[in-house]
Amino acid sequence: MTTARARRYTADQVPLRSVILRMVVGLLVLLFFVAPYVVMLVSSLKSKREILRVPPTFLPEEWHPENYVTMWSTPETPLVQNLISTIIIAVCATLLVLAVALPAAYYTARFRFPGRMVFLFLVIVTQMLQPAVLTSGLFREFQFLGISDTWFAMILINAAFNLSFAVWIMHSFFAGVPKEVDEAAQLDGAGKWTVLTRINLPLVWPGIVTAIVFTFVSCWNEFAASLVILSTAGNQPLSVALTKFVGQYATSWHYVFGVSIVAIIPVVILFMLIEKRLVGGLTAGSVK
Amino acid sequence: MTASLTGRTSREGATADRRPRRGEGTSLRDLVIALPWIAPALLLILGVVIFPAGVMFYNSTRDISQSGVDRGPAGFENFQSLLDFAPIWGVLARTLVWVVVVVVLTVLISLALAQLLDKAFPGRQLVRMAVIIPWAASVVMTTLVVYYGLDPFYGIINEVLVNVGVIETPYGWTKNAPSAFAWSIAIAVFVSLPFTTYTILAGLQTVPAEVLEAARMDGAGRTRTYFSVILPQLRSALAVAILINIINVFNSLPILKVMTGSIPGYEADTIMTLIFKYIQTDHRIDVASALSVVGFVIVLAIVAVYVRVVRPMREV
Amino acid sequence: MKRSLRFGAVIATAAVASMTLASCGFGNAGGGSDGDTTIDLLVPSYSDGTQALWEKVIDGFEDENPGITVNLEVQSWDNLNDVVTTKVQGGKAPDIMNGGPFAGFAADGLLYPAEDVVSPDTLADFQKSFADNASVDGVQYGLPLIASARTLFVNNALLEQAGVTTPPTTWDELLDAATKVSDLGGGVYGYGLPLGSEEAQAESAIWFYGGGGGFGDEKEITIDTPENLAAAKFIQKMVDAGATQPDAGATDRTPLIDVFVQGKIGMIEALPPTVAQIEKDNPDLDYSLVPIPTKDGEPFTLGVADHMMAFDNGKDKQEAITAFMDYLFSTDVYVDWVTTEKFLPTTVSGGEALADDEALAPFLEALPNAAFYPSTNPNWSATDGAFKSLVGQLAQGKDAKAVLAEIQAKSDEG
Repeated sequence: MTTARARRYTADQVPLRSVILRMVVGLLVLLFFVAPYVVMLVSSLKSKREILRVPPTFLPEEWHPENYVTMWSTPETPLVQNLISTIIIAVCATLLVLAVALPAAYYTARFRFPGRMVFLFLVIVTQMLQPAVLTSGLFREFQFLGISDTWFAMILINAAFNLSFAVWIMHSFFAGVPKEVDEAAQLDGAGKWTVLTRINLPLVWPGIVTAIVFTFVSCWNEFAASLVILSTAGNQPLSVALTKFVGQYATSWHYVFGVSIVAIIPVVILFMLIEKRLVGGLTAGSVK
Repeated sequence: MTASLTGRTSREGATADRRPRRGEGTSLRDLVIALPWIAPALLLILGVVIFPAGVMFYNSTRDISQSGVDRGPAGFENFQSLLDFAPIWGVLARTLVWVVVVVVLTVLISLALAQLLDKAFPGRQLVRMAVIIPWAASVVMTTLVVYYGLDPFYGIINEVLVNVGVIETPYGWTKNAPSAFAWSIAIAVFVSLPFTTYTILAGLQTVPAEVLEAARMDGAGRTRTYFSVILPQLRSALAVAILINIINVFNSLPILKVMTGSIPGYEADTIMTLIFKYIQTDHRIDVASALSVVGFVIVLAIVAVYVRVVRPMREV
Repeated sequence: MKRSLRFGAVIATAAVASMTLASCGFGNAGGGSDGDTTIDLLVPSYSDGTQALWEKVIDGFEDENPGITVNLEVQSWDNLNDVVTTKVQGGKAPDIMNGGPFAGFAADGLLYPAEDVVSPDTLADFQKSFADNASVDGVQYGLPLIASARTLFVNNALLEQAGVTTPPTTWDELLDAATKVSDLGGGVYGYGLPLGSEEAQAESAIWFYGGGGGFGDEKEITIDTPENLAAAKFIQKMVDAGATQPDAGATDRTPLIDVFVQGKIGMIEALPPTVAQIEKDNPDLDYSLVPIPTKDGEPFTLGVADHMMAFDNGKDKQEAITAFMDYLFSTDVYVDWVTTEKFLPTTVSGGEALADDEALAPFLEALPNAAFYPSTNPNWSATDGAFKSLVGQLAQGKDAKAVLAEIQAKSDEG
């Protein structure tokens, strides 16, 4: 099969030698990128004693797949609730970003109004401010509003800090759609909202998907603000729950890695589903 | 009239190229019409980002006790303490090095990777999937596994290096500032590669086949073609990717914190890790806020200069 | 028109639904019915079992006190201070906290004096040395919860192999023994020296106090002194002779103790829970507990206590807090707590109940000679931080006087 494919490539005037070279390089790249995560996976299957063994072992002497079962009921953290919290926060924040960024990106790409550049500037500024340095103010604010330690608070926070990226991506996409399309639709009597949803959206869908995935991943892995805002153990996302395994007297690395794998797999699957769209989605703004 | 996104070589009618009619888009009425569209975003930004940022600026001029109690105004004392802090210049310099080296390396490697992934070969799909993984994993988790591997006692990276004969005894990579910093750079590049590679890849796919054909007709070799034809086409994709990378790398905390966290002194700190040390170890929220303000101003300056020079927003 | 409306409606509904869903959360701090008092309890985790332990205490307490609910928040030691200072800044300090340094909070006027939140009987039950260490200007603010001491753990097999017949009692003997063990090679090191940020102040205290110097007292923190300089220089001597593990300045105590448990380190200063750790992870380890070697052989140990402290948030929860503290320190509950975490008791009644515990004996014995951190000094917190971030530089070859001066400066800044 490989030879047939290679022959196909060579039919396009690509020498077999080049194809082989690419495959070798590709393999090296693949191994390089996958290596840390393989280590993570293998380490997560070791026992607590073995994972701190001096000197270390590569493959586990005894395999402990039950780590993946026991981790759900460890005393350090209610992992099931952590997982649910992570999912809810990430999904809701992403939806919120979508609902808020879409109209804003569309309008600023399409129409002029006073303060347009100011608005865009504000959006960029938020990209430069990270939750990590703003934790004190965030805590105080949500205390004051009375919604501290709720998912709602984290959803708002995540949405706000991911807004800038989403607006930016979607904005460049909308800007890339020729105006004539809009005008044609408007001539047919469509209002702004219809133009957005029926005409533009289908065209910019890859950009939207990109923005969605970016936001989702960012919310999924958020740590600094979650640490301060969410105090009840069950409300905390996986990123914070992970730190609970780093104790004062021993670090349960096998659980650290196990939880990491659990946290990574859904996102990897998500990425793989949209991988084809991703390339198209990043064409935003780069088209002349 | 239909429009398609593929294979366009011109963007007639895009907002930036279209000359606005005189007076269009500048009246109050236009702002009012715009409001329902941008209001939710504005609210979110003002409420959740601007307010805490304001608190941060405010705190930088206050005297706050170790327990977090505000003891009154401090003027510019906190900033003065920063100036009096001897290692601060090293920290600033290191931050610069950090940003420049990571971004440059990321871009160079991404360009190469994107070239590879753009070409057809069996198994390409698999390689593309693999490149995505660091993007999907949280930075902390990736850093933790490398940190674990580099431990002099139970780390497998050390074990491999000793077995292969590169070093004699396990070395404390994460216990010494220069090596910890170097490894941190490597990890930062590693986690930035997926995004940058994919952005460039997307840009590559918009290089029109005709232009490549024409270059080949003109007898341009591969290298010539790359530098004179492909790279310029990538310009805007690259510009955006670099800007985002600069901001994220500047603000990056987890990698350095995990990798250099156990090293005493300040030989491996950047602005962000120093802020964190002020908060966590010294409990000086006032000075930390002052440093945050400094960091913010610096990144703002960098972005402003970059936008001026490179104009990635040209199409905006 | 319809389709776009539907699309918009879908998004809007999704957003609203998620908001409503999201205003819940698991076990949200909701308080009970009217008339119920809620206490917010913030604690660090000492081990895998800390959370369960506190939950047990709370369950028992709530059973006996139906009108009071306790909200438990557990943080890791790393994050604990961050979290409490953010809470204090936001005006939402916890009601009760378990932590180390409290003098800063007391100095800011945030705490109830101890006598306001415990019954006189309970107050009298604290051992005097711990009670003194929990007082600022004669007023006790902290309720000592657990105590710890240090002693030297010695790997008998390694020492024998290296030709060391008796465990060292002075610094010079320690240097000698440790160098011999390190010379065995093969990844084995003589003396485990953890000057990494985790507990650098503890290891430094053992050396500084052991050399006749110290950290100071309630009134003044004195780091940059001739005795301490001699101690710092001796530490550097140990490092230069190869008697310690490499990169001591960046090695944390916990992983290093674990290496000792696996039999790769000759000697290390460790604490009561380590005995249980060895029992669990490597019961075949041939080791003994001996007194800490000091400069001239005088007996000494480092005493450390963590405290419960009550924040006065102006909400009149004194009664509820007192009820909780009395319950926690009642002999049965308290002894159970202390033994589960494998620490030393701070109450007289607790000490009596545990007098027969073999594992604790060497530590209990050393306690009368214990020196404590000057934790009642308001600058202690800054000093603690300074040690953690700076003292490791001694092992990196930086000039000892300069390092001490740096730490002193940071401490004075407060």
